[in-house]
This record gives sequence, structure tokens and C-alpha cells, in this order.
Amino acid sequence: MLEMRAITKRFPGVLANDRVDFDLRAGEVHTLLGENGAGKSTLMKILYGLYQPDEGEILLNGSPVEIHSPTDAIDLNVGMIHQHFMMVESLTVAENVALGLPSNRGFRTDLDAVSERITELGTRYGLKIDPSATVWQLSVGQKQRVEIIKALFRDANLLILDEPTAVLTPQEVDQLFKTLRQMTEDGRGLIFISHKLHEVLALSDRITVLRQGRITGQVPVEGATRESLARMMVGREVKLAPDKPAVEPGRPRLRIESLTVLGDRGDEAVRSLNLEVRAGEILSIAGVSGNGQREMAETIGGLRQPTSGAIFIDDTDVAGKTPAEIRAAGLSYVPEGRMKNGCIGAFTVSENLLLVDHQKAPYVKWGLFDFGVIKEHSAQLVKQYAVKTPTLDTTARSLSGGNIQKLILAREISGTPKVLVASQPTRGVDIGAAEYIHKRLVEQRTEDTAILVISEDLDEVFALADRIAVIYEGQIMGMVDPATTSREEIGLMMAGVHPETTSDRP
Amino acid sequence: MKKNRLTWLIVVLALVLVAAACSDDSGTTTTAGDSDTTTTAGDTPTTTTAGDAETTTTAASAEPFKIAIVAPSAQNDLAFTQSIVDAVNVIKDEMGNVEVQITDNTFIVEDAASAIRAYAVDGVDLVIAHGSQYGGSLQEIAPDFPDTAFAWGTAADTFGLSNVFAYEAASDEGGYVMGAMAAALSESNTIGIVGPVEVGDAKLYVDGFKAGAEAQNPDANVLVNYTGSFSDVALASEAAQAFAANGADVMTGTAQMVVGAVTVASDVNIIWFGTQANQTSLAPDIVVASQVYHWEVVLRDIIAKIEAGTPGGEQFKIDLANGGEVIEYNDAFALPADVKQLGEDTIAGIIDGSIKTGS
Amino acid sequence: MSDFFTTAILVATAASGVRLAVPLLFASLGETFGQRSGVLNLGVDGIMLLGAFGGYYAVLQTGSVWLGLLIGIVVGMLLGLVSALISVTLRAEQGISGIGIYLFGLGMSDLLFQKLVGTPLPITKFPKLNFPVLSDIPVIGELLFQHSVVVYLAFLAVPVSMYIINKTTFGMNIRAVGENPEAADSLGVSVNRIRYATVIIGGTLAGVAGAALAIDLGIFQQNLTNAQGFIAIALVYFGAWRPVGVMLGSLLYGFVNAIVLQLKTLAIIPPDLSDFAAMAPAIITILALVVVARRFKAPAALTKPYSRGE
Repeated sequence: MLEMRAITKRFPGVLANDRVDFDLRAGEVHTLLGENGAGKSTLMKILYGLYQPDEGEILLNGSPVEIHSPTDAIDLNVGMIHQHFMMVESLTVAENVALGLPSNRGFRTDLDAVSERITELGTRYGLKIDPSATVWQLSVGQKQRVEIIKALFRDANLLILDEPTAVLTPQEVDQLFKTLRQMTEDGRGLIFISHKLHEVLALSDRITVLRQGRITGQVPVEGATRESLARMMVGREVKLAPDKPAVEPGRPRLRIESLTVLGDRGDEAVRSLNLEVRAGEILSIAGVSGNGQREMAETIGGLRQPTSGAIFIDDTDVAGKTPAEIRAAGLSYVPEGRMKNGCIGAFTVSENLLLVDHQKAPYVKWGLFDFGVIKEHSAQLVKQYAVKTPTLDTTARSLSGGNIQKLILAREISGTPKVLVASQPTRGVDIGAAEYIHKRLVEQRTEDTAILVISEDLDEVFALADRIAVIYEGQIMGMVDPATTSREEIGLMMAGVHPETTSDRP
Repeated sequence: MKKNRLTWLIVVLALVLVAAACSDDSGTTTTAGDSDTTTTAGDTPTTTTAGDAETTTTAASAEPFKIAIVAPSAQNDLAFTQSIVDAVNVIKDEMGNVEVQITDNTFIVEDAASAIRAYAVDGVDLVIAHGSQYGGSLQEIAPDFPDTAFAWGTAADTFGLSNVFAYEAASDEGGYVMGAMAAALSESNTIGIVGPVEVGDAKLYVDGFKAGAEAQNPDANVLVNYTGSFSDVALASEAAQAFAANGADVMTGTAQMVVGAVTVASDVNIIWFGTQANQTSLAPDIVVASQVYHWEVVLRDIIAKIEAGTPGGEQFKIDLANGGEVIEYNDAFALPADVKQLGEDTIAGIIDGSIKTGS
Repeated sequence: MSDFFTTAILVATAASGVRLAVPLLFASLGETFGQRSGVLNLGVDGIMLLGAFGGYYAVLQTGSVWLGLLIGIVVGMLLGLVSALISVTLRAEQGISGIGIYLFGLGMSDLLFQKLVGTPLPITKFPKLNFPVLSDIPVIGELLFQHSVVVYLAFLAVPVSMYIINKTTFGMNIRAVGENPEAADSLGVSVNRIRYATVIIGGTLAGVAGAALAIDLGIFQQNLTNAQGFIAIALVYFGAWRPVGVMLGSLLYGFVNAIVLQLKTLAIIPPDLSDFAAMAPAIITILALVVVARRFKAPAALTKPYSRGE
């Protein structure tokens, strides 16, 4: 039903799509796979009319079309579900669905009729939703349903799904996939964009891999494996899970006791949370975004004040101390927002590497920087951590996400911390860099560091963790051993269902 | 960031509100630049025709006498600023070889200060800073230009500087005269006076008017409302409505925002006394009389001093006695003869000192 | 104090409050449209001033208040168009570009006044409506049925605005664009077209506000509005971006002003306190603003220019 031929799109300094061919048949799921910046989103934005291609043509049902705006796309029954929900939080479900469509009642809205049709579609595709609910009241999974209803309401025969599972629990993903399969059975074609390899394998009929704007492979799902897909994405062999040398965990180095923290809106984001991380182990916190992970990490790092509770690094209570005091007590912290809290974009690579130690010898002599020592130290770290940067004086913001993350990691690990907290260490980082970051984290266990990794990516959680703690609404729902647990079990806990047994507790 | 922006916005809006409320002498409410229409009176003849003939040889070949005016409101505001512009034009007609430059609408003192300095640099002979709020600027600028004469009004202080003259109006005198006539004309015995802020020229006038009315009729109920703004026409209008609701049948008011009150008075047929300029044209049916300032009376003295080599250090005042203040009647208004006589008698009494205005 | 609590004075004070509220109500309703769609127009006062002069001059020349109102509308539309061009198409920083419009309106209205009119001349005012029977009811008649026609137009604009914002597809688009322009755009709603429409509506109502002010006062003078346009913007926040809230805010501001004036007239507030009393409306409004602004959220995209594909 769709053919995109030799699509080329240039941005200043970047060739985002280089003669890309892509097609879609009715009734199939065709996955577009690639690293961040590989050109998937650009290609789909061209199809949805948000960008215009520099070269190439688009054929729908055999005839060439020009798509200048989302309106054109909608008129051609092309729908798109964006990675970030495209919804107006202050409007109701029905209003969000009706937005942009002509009303049967002229200039007046006709929300009753819209609501009726929403209920109808919901019943048919298993997308139950209250049309009169205001969107901000909905859960993430419900919002996802509204997005799909919006597309169905517009009779989208071709639906683009841009990383639709990023924010869902495994159960919600299963439910979503059921709905999507029902849609393909109706003869609709779906383009699925993701970098979660197991989901790609579970849903797709065909898979096209993009790297640096070019197609590097197009395969049917039969015979594809995670390793083969990763190879096409990165261009070399990739180890998806690092080799983990066995390390006997020692005494607890990070202890969190009855920690309560308020969130940005004044609600209790973390509620009487207890946690222990031992020397030489990686404890992963799994959970759906927004369940208190960020607040907990910020509190450990000193960026947020707890209302009650204690945080011990070895035997020092650091709860409520300043970041400088907590660092002095032995914490290293890789924050979630790498550009916001992790580094200073306008500073050079070497300045960023020095941020933590900039008041100490040997970098400072007689109150002045010793640039010779600094340069030597930076050059060594950049080499050791494989940070790809043209020079040490390049500003941090001109590096790629993966290299910035390596830079931060280099700075944080180099001091051999007692406790390392890493929030979303590989989010938005390409597979190659992620592989390296995972390797370094696992290696750090041998240095007797207690490592706390917070991640929303279950693949990452399983790859790294010696133990997994699942967080839900600011509390630890359960502690499991990755060797003996399943995704489903963790998924249930992520959704707030208590584990039936605690026998998995190591 | 989002939150920050909103907070800032609220702070800014709050400041604007406060500024709007406190708009005092400067009359305007923004901190950003104002719309100064700097008018250089290019149409004033520098090589005059008629003037040359009368003043014969001395002025004809000499450099023109240069006068500059810096004033807060519009030069045709029918009030404060217009009074000085009219006076300088009279002087120009009398002396002939005079060059006049005007910078009006300098509600913002800093703008006025830069205009004053610029005129001094240009070699203007007499710089008139027509606004009590310009005193501080003048105090700074005048010592830098000892050869330039400055005049500051309305004020009574020369800061002890030898090149600054001060001038003011005894506006209480005209106010007293018209207050007496107002009380005589009022049938309800209720009189309304709207003022801007209780300071300076406005306070003198309001107090004089009230004293005159109460002297004429001790039972007169004189309502006074200082709106708090020189420029809020709508508030002046509502103040007049409030007077009307309280039964006033005679009103007056001072400062440029009173035009709003005059139109209300006109609507409900309440008679009006004007001040600072002849306000008859605003409402020919209801204006009885206006106190008009003839600053040329003091300007003549000031210019004489300058030409005699004394560039300042003295204070001047216009009043009924020296002819600097004149009560101009509206011929179209049928003023009973006895009331007019009362006015004339009161003027005479003030001039000979038998009547005190109380100020 | 007893002088104040007489029926005649209370009714006159209330009527005064309503009159003072009218220009604010027009202007803040207009600004509400723009802000709901995400555009802050700080130039309201400048547009009001030019609308005021345009309306004044038209009445001065022709004697027709309706023509004056029409000119106010036209001037407001044109300046609304210019504002939209600057803030929507050129995506200027809205906090600054609006000040430019304000200064332009302030300077241009005065310049035109000086060149075309000079000395203030009174003009015909709006007629006061006289409803048979209703206007003659004591108290209520004076309170509700003896106002000039623009008063009724202003208060009629409140339910009309509510209906447009809440019950029409256009209104839904406005709300969507103000909260999440990306989402609206992805559904085929033209963000720019909606914002142009709302900013022009805002300009038009600001022009009407100015013309209503000038024609109701029967006079024009430099800076006639005395920053009422800025107060109107504050009232949009006070009113939590809702027409009814904006109306209550305008009335509050008008009433407090009227009450303070009346209390000063009756010397209940002595003259030496009058300068402080003059700040009362502003202070009360600020306090209300602080209380309300905490409770309601501004349109999420307010002051943020939109461009596709970011």
C-alpha cells in the first residue's frame, strides 16, 4: 500500500536520509529499526508531512502523492502515534479525538457523537476509555489508547507508531500488541519504530534497519535474532549483555532507611523506602517512569531534600547534606538529565572532567589551575573511556549523547567511589556506547563499589543487575534475582501487583 | 523555567499595576522610553519682519535671544504646559528677535534632564524647566553651565545657585476668587473640586478655591477629591460623577486630566470653573470663568535680569496684583451681574490685601 | 461613613464601578483569546490608545459614535494583525515585542492627536439606553438599565466569549493550541491560523476598549488609557484565563476604584491619605492575582512561539 522511493533529506551538516527505500503492505507490521539519529524519525516525519523530502517520491496505493502537512497525511488516511503523546492535557478524551476534525454541527462542537464512536472503537479493539475524562487524569497506558483511537477515528489505514512502548509496563505492551494485531487483521498496515529488540521480534512481519541515514538491512522476522539485528544497527558484533565476572558481595555500603521525599508537585514521591546496596554488587531499580526513581536518586545525590529518613554511605548519614558533602562521603552520581545536571554544555571536555575535583590538588596549585596536570589527566580519561571528541577543548554540548555519557561516567568512576548511583545510564545512547558503559559498570564491581542503577529499560536491568528491586509509587514492591525471575513477574510488580511469593529473594 | 517565566510575568504585571496607581508628577506609567515629540519651533521667524521694524537697530543685527522650554505634558494641553508655551510666544511677539525651542511630553524626568542639558550645550540663553519634578536635574546641570540662565517652575527655590531663577503662581488667589463666585452661584450649596495629587500648584489652587467658597457661604459643602493621578482621565470623569451624585452643582478642577470631569459636567449641566488655561472651548455652555496664567509677567523680569548680567538667583511669583494671573470670563455664559461684581470685588480685595486667601 | 450607605450613593458608586470596568472588560476578554491560544500580547494598551484616538477622531469629524466604534474596531484589527505578524510569524519574544506595540501606540496616538486635533475638543458620547418600564424601576433601574450601550455590549461579550471558547470547534482549537501546539498541529489544526485569529480578536477588542473609553469620556488626551491595557493583562491572569473570571476581575477593579473615589469625595478618606488610597485597587488586584495565579495553571504554551519539527 505504501512505497517510499529513494528518499533523501538533508539538514545543515547532516544527511538524515540517503536514498532510502521503504514499503509497507496492507495487513503487516513493518519495523523500522535503528539507533538514535539513524534517520527513522526523519523518514516517518516525511511520510506524515512534518518534513519535506529533498529528493524521492512517495506512492500510496500505487499513485504518487505529495504530503505537505499532517492534514494532507490525515486526508490520505495516514496516522501517526508520536513518541511523546500528542495530546492536550487540559482537554477531555473526546475533545482530543475531535480536534482538527470538522463537526457535524457546523461551528459548534459535537462531542456526544464523537464519544459514541470512541466507545464503539474501544469495544472493537479492546481500547476501553471514558470519553469524558480529562487527559491529565489518565494513566500512561490509557493515554496510549487515546492516541490509537485518535488514529482509528480518522480511518488511518496506515499507522506509524514511533516508539509506542517506551513508557509502558510489560503488561500494557502485551495489551497494545493485541490491539495492533487486530488492526493488521482488519487490513491496516503498521510501521513500528523501536529499538527494543525483543519487542521488534515479537511484533514485526518485516524489519528494515537504518544506520546513519542508510538502509543496512531488510529482513523478514523469521530467522532474525537480537544479535543479528544489533549487528545491522551498529555495523559490528555487539555484546548485548556484558560478561559478568563473579564478585562476592560484601558489606552494605549504601543503606536507605525509611526515606520519604516530596515530588515537584508536593506529593510524596518516595514513601518510607528502604534499600541496601552491598559492596561489589549492582542493584537495579526497575519501574515505570514517574514512580519516584528520579526523586530518590536526586535525594541520594543531594539535589533534593528528604522530609524524613536516613541515607548511609558506609556509616555516614548523608541525608539532606549538600552535594559537595555527599561526594566527600564517597558518592559518585550519574544523573538522569545528562545535559541538565550531568555536565555543563558550554564547558570543554577537559573542564567537565575536572568539575568535581576542581578545588583540589594536584589540579590546583597556589589557588591557580595547573593546566599541565589537568591536560594530562583529561587526555588519559578520554582515552581510557573511549570518549570520541576532536580535542580536549571541544565543548561538551557538541558531543553525541553517548560520548557525553561516557565523559560523565569517566569523571564519576575515576575517583573509585564507595557508592555509584547511575540514573538511566544508557537512555538515548547508541548501542555501541551502551555496550561500553555496561562493561565499565560491571567492571566497577570488582573495585568494591556499591552500584545502584536506575533504569526503565528491562533489557538493561536484566543485563546488569545482581539483584533487581522493583519500585512502584515510591515504595519497593519486591526484590528479585534476575537469574530466576521473568519479565512477566517484574511487569506485574511494576504495575503495583504484589509478588505472590518472596522466595526469589536472594 | 516555565514556572520561572510565569513568576516573572506576574511580578512585572504587579509592578505595572503599582506604577499605574502611583503615577505622580511624571504622569506616565512605563519605565520604557516615552513618546517625546520634540518640537523645534521651526516656524518661528528668526529673522523677523515686523519685529525688526519696531525694535529698530539693536535687535535687528544682534544674535536672537534663545529660549527653550522643557515641559511634562503636551504643549496644547489646555493646562499646565500650554500656559508657559503661550507666555513664551507672547514674549517672542514683544521682543521680536527671539528663537523658541520646545521639548514637551517629558513625563520622564531623565528625558527632561537630557533635553535641559542639550539646550544648555547648544548655547540657549534661557532654559525653562517647567515642572517642579525637574528640580533635582536642574541642581545637577546648572552649575556645569554658569553662563546659561535657567528658570525652574513652579517652585520657590533657586538652590542658592546664581544662574537659576525660580517662578511660581499664587494659584490660591484666582482659586479664592472663583471659589467665592462658585458659592454665590451654587443653589445646592454643594461644590466639587477634583485634583491630581495633594502637592504644589494643585494644592494651592484647591485650598484657595475651598477657602473662597467657604468665606462666601459658610454653609457651603465643598467636596475635594484628589484622584491620585495627573493623567487618569477616566478617574477624573468618575470623580465628577461622584460629585454629581452628591448633589454638587458647581465644579472645578486642576491638572490636565480634568478634561474628563469637564465633559461630565457638561453632560449634566453643572457649571465649571477652569484654571491654568482658558477652558471655555471644552464646554462653552457651562464654563463660567478660568484662571489663566500669564507667565510672561515674570519672564519679562527674568529676561531683563539676564540682559542686565544677572543670570539667576531670584524668585518670582505671578499673582493677581502683578497681572500674571487673570480671571477670564466666558462671554457666552450668562453670569449674573452681582456675581461678577463679587468676583471683581474679591480680586480688588486680594490685591489691596484686605482679603487673605488663607495660604 | 453613614453618608456612604445611602441608596443614592451606593447606586451611583456601583454604576461608576461598572463604567470603569467596561474598557478593562473589553480589553481583557480580547487578551484572554490570545493567551488561551498561547500568545501574550503586551501591546494591548498601545492598541487601546490608537483605537481611542481613531474612535475619537471619527466622532469629532462625523458626530457618529457608531462610526467611531467602527473605526476603533478597524484600528484594533489592523494592529492585531501587526501583533500577530510579529509574535506568530516572526516568532518574536512576546514579552518584548508587545512593549514595542505599546510604545508605538502611545507615541502614534499622541502624534496624530497633536497633528490632527491639537487642543482637546469634546465629542458626542454614547447614548444612554432607556428601556421602557425597566429603567424607571427604582435602584435596579438605575443600576442595570440606564447605562450607555457599550456597557451592555461589553457584558454581552462575556457569554459570547464563553460559548466560543468552550462550545465551538474554533474554541477547542484555541485551547488545544495554547496547551500543546505540537499535538494540535499533528491533528491538522493550523497553529498559526488559530493564533492569528485570536490575536486579531484580541486587537479588535482592545481597539473597541479604547474607542469605548474615548467616546464614553467624550474627550481624548495623551495617554488617555493611563495603562489600563496593562491592568487588563493582569486581569486575564486574575481571571484564570476564563471570561467569567476576567469579568469578575474587571468589576472588582472598577468597584474598588469607584468606592475609593466615593469615600474620598465624602472625605471619609481624608485628602492626606488619598494618594495611598489611590493604590488600593492595584494592591487588591495584586493580592487577588497572587492568590488565584497559584491555583490555576496558565496555558502551557503561553509566550512560546511555535515552529514545526523541533
